Amino acid sequence: MALTVYCWLLCLYPGSCRHEFGEEMTSVFREARSALPPALAAKISFYRREFCGLLSGALRAHLDRLFGPVIPLRRFSMQRQVRFPRSTVFLMCVILAGLVLAIHKAQNVVQMKESLPPATATAWGPVLWGLLFALALILAAVAAAAAWGVLFALRRTGMHRLDGMQTWAEHHWRGPTKPGNSCFDRK
Amino acid sequence: METFALSEPVLLVLLSLAEQPRHGYAILKDVESLSGGRVLLSTGTLYGALQRLLDRGWIERVEEDSTPRDRRTYRLTLRGRRNLQMEIERMRHLTKVAALRIARKEA
Repeated sequence: MALTVYCWLLCLYPGSCRHEFGEEMTSVFREARSALPPALAAKISFYRREFCGLLSGALRAHLDRLFGPVIPLRRFSMQRQVRFPRSTVFLMCVILAGLVLAIHKAQNVVQMKESLPPATATAWGPVLWGLLFALALILAAVAAAAAWGVLFALRRTGMHRLDGMQTWAEHHWRGPTKPGNSCFDRK
Repeated sequence: METFALSEPVLLVLLSLAEQPRHGYAILKDVESLSGGRVLLSTGTLYGALQRLLDRGWIERVEEDSTPRDRRTYRLTLRGRRNLQMEIERMRHLTKVAALRIARKEA
């Protein structure tokens, strides 16, 4: 059962990676599984680690294939105060998945509409319009969720405090900010 | 020459291969023992790291006719060994500075 799930998750990798490492990975997984201690907690931890590792590995392999090596070997060196919180990353992944799904559904609807004979198309017209309307609603909801995610992330990073900053032009024309107005003056 | 801090799994994989060529499962077990059981690599993480290291030419496959396809062995290249040595130098310098600072603070 676990091996089947493992092989199924391996299918998420790009074809070239699967071809190059698939057999090896399956063999190592089988070997590691056979050496597991009998404790249930150890087994759960092992399967969780393996399946999460496969999911993140597949995502990374796709990103590497699309955009080149986007994540280098070095540690993630972005300053902590400007990193996205994990919840936002998760939310963005959900939004991306929703968008991909919506596009796929829209393509299906268009194909279905094109393949219908004219008479049937007339009969199905209201249904199709309803579907398109529902799709538009879903897209709007996804866009709103994306905007909320970005705003939430920006708020967490403290970008909104930049409002209190004076630009060089403001400083030049209006004179320096009174103490206490700038975010740098806050103790 | 590439000089930057390596992630812990990559560093441990390189250290494991620095001793001798190993296949995937042997690397997993060696990383676990090197880190005292703290770092447990999944196969996804391990092969992701191996692929990136292969792409950069830091490691290579040991090509043997007798080796089955699902048990291929990897070894460190000269470039990988040089980069690993530089990383260890960097860490050594960092620990030296850290020890000095801690000692000064305690004094």
